[in-house]
Amino acid sequence: MNREVLVDVKHLTHQFHLTKKLVISALDDVSFQIYKGEVFGLVGESGSGKSTAARCLMNIYQPSAGEICYDGINICDKKQFRKNKKILQAKRQMVFQDSASSLNPRMKVADIIQEPMKINHVVPPRGSISKEAEFQMEYVGLDRSFLERYPSELSGGQRQRVAIARALSMEPEFLVADEPVASLDVSIQAQVINLFRHLQKEHGFTFLFIAHDLAMVEYLCDRVGVMYHGQLVEIGPAKEVFSNPGHGYTKTLLSAIPIPDPIRERKRKIQIYEENDWTAGEMQEISPGHYVLEKKGGNQNAEA
Amino acid sequence: MTGTSFEIVGAHETDCGKAAVKKKWWQGKPLLSMIVLLVIFSGCICAEIVMTKDPVYMDLLNYNKAPGREFLFGTDTMGRDIFSMIWYGGRISLLIGILSTVISVFIAVVIGSFSGISPQWLDNLIMRFTEIFLSIPSLLLVVLLQAILGKANILSLSVVIGLTSWTSIAKVIRTEVRQIKSSEYVLASRCMGGGFFHILWRHLAPNFVSSIMFMVVMNVRSAIISESTLSFMGIGLPVEVISWGSMLSLSEKALMTNSWWIIVIPGAFLIVTLLCLTEIGNYMRKNVNRKESNL
Repeated sequence: MNREVLVDVKHLTHQFHLTKKLVISALDDVSFQIYKGEVFGLVGESGSGKSTAARCLMNIYQPSAGEICYDGINICDKKQFRKNKKILQAKRQMVFQDSASSLNPRMKVADIIQEPMKINHVVPPRGSISKEAEFQMEYVGLDRSFLERYPSELSGGQRQRVAIARALSMEPEFLVADEPVASLDVSIQAQVINLFRHLQKEHGFTFLFIAHDLAMVEYLCDRVGVMYHGQLVEIGPAKEVFSNPGHGYTKTLLSAIPIPDPIRERKRKIQIYEENDWTAGEMQEISPGHYVLEKKGGNQNAEA
Repeated sequence: MTGTSFEIVGAHETDCGKAAVKKKWWQGKPLLSMIVLLVIFSGCICAEIVMTKDPVYMDLLNYNKAPGREFLFGTDTMGRDIFSMIWYGGRISLLIGILSTVISVFIAVVIGSFSGISPQWLDNLIMRFTEIFLSIPSLLLVVLLQAILGKANILSLSVVIGLTSWTSIAKVIRTEVRQIKSSEYVLASRCMGGGFFHILWRHLAPNFVSSIMFMVVMNVRSAIISESTLSFMGIGLPVEVISWGSMLSLSEKALMTNSWWIIVIPGAFLIVTLLCLTEIGNYMRKNVNRKESNL
């Protein structure tokens, strides 16, 4: 596997100041790396800081502390970011969670897909911009007659495909998908996930996939990071993490996956995770590439 | 491109069945208002063809004539033909209405969207300033500005009316922009590298145009009213410049001589135009609301 680091996140911290006194720490000292060409999954419960991390990576939020290096460029540094703005914006693309609100209701699908190409004055590989839009539409599995429609005339799955086509039209190097399937129903979720898998294999882009559905992450991702209360509690190869979870919270999460077998499903025990298990600690390597957040002093909270 | 685990969904023609009963294009539209307004507009634009007499020529032999065969709408106290004056003066009234609306909408879009995207404290500052502006009666402001600018002509009057009527539109735009600017498609556009003007033009404007459409049409109306009011009070256009308002300003003399046509006819034209504009504005507002709920 290619071990070249594309995104390097170091001690990333982001706080939201709701009022002068009330500060919410959405990300607390998070560090991870994403290698070139891999699918990196971030999982965790609602409000654990997954989306905040993604938005920091896309420069939508300016992190309070820490730094993010993208291909050697520190994107948190305003000077460096401004110098490389054009390249960064063309290379990184994002797919949002809610397809209904991420597409302008007053723009036709054709205009939506062409927008990033028009902004960045890209000469598309398939001749004209409109041809490129048609190609992308077919690539994500939509008929070209949809180009003349408005987002309100499409279904949720079709809209999400349009959003994916928009992101792909720039031929991105790094794609961030912030819960791309959370607002869809199960059958369409499967379609979109298969589409992502297919596209990733063909394009070979680096992919940050955020979800709270663990089965999906196991199916799609090469490496997984588990987040809890703004902290990264476990990180490692997907197979390792799912077969041999190290952190108590990961175990709890995994025990909550329903099993499509009634006999085994009845035997399934849902573990309950105690809040006081997680306290600031250090990442310990328990097997190659598999790190777990552990209490200081080294006693395994996995055994607790 | 189809794999075993990947299947294309929705890649087939969906025929959009046509509605069972096709609506005629004019159904549900304010047809009467549109026709009347069109007649008035085209009459004013082609005033040279419609006019039967020179509107500025003072026929001193035939002053204060009642409507008759020669003078279709009669003549005023200075012997000018009212029928010709209506078309000729309508030009100026409508011109002032449209010109001042353009000025006020321009100011409103700039201030409204700037306030909408700026940080909280600046937004507060601009909006409080706008409210102070809004709380002064606009007629008072117009009189004051007109006094500063000196002698009134068409341009100065449009500027003055435009300068005093942008506040409510700006407030609506600011509210809309504040709502839209944090929506995900604006975020997405910013991620792709869209600049401020790109976002304003492609994303913000199409979404707030519908909500100010009604106000813009109403602004034309209120600008015509302001012009008439000013002219009626004698601080608007001078009597030599013919507009509906300046025609009405002759009415105090007309009422004394019991010649009703001098006041009723320009007044009727003014009211009919305003009613038509209101009707069309109302239709636009309803239509926009319906479209919104469709989305």
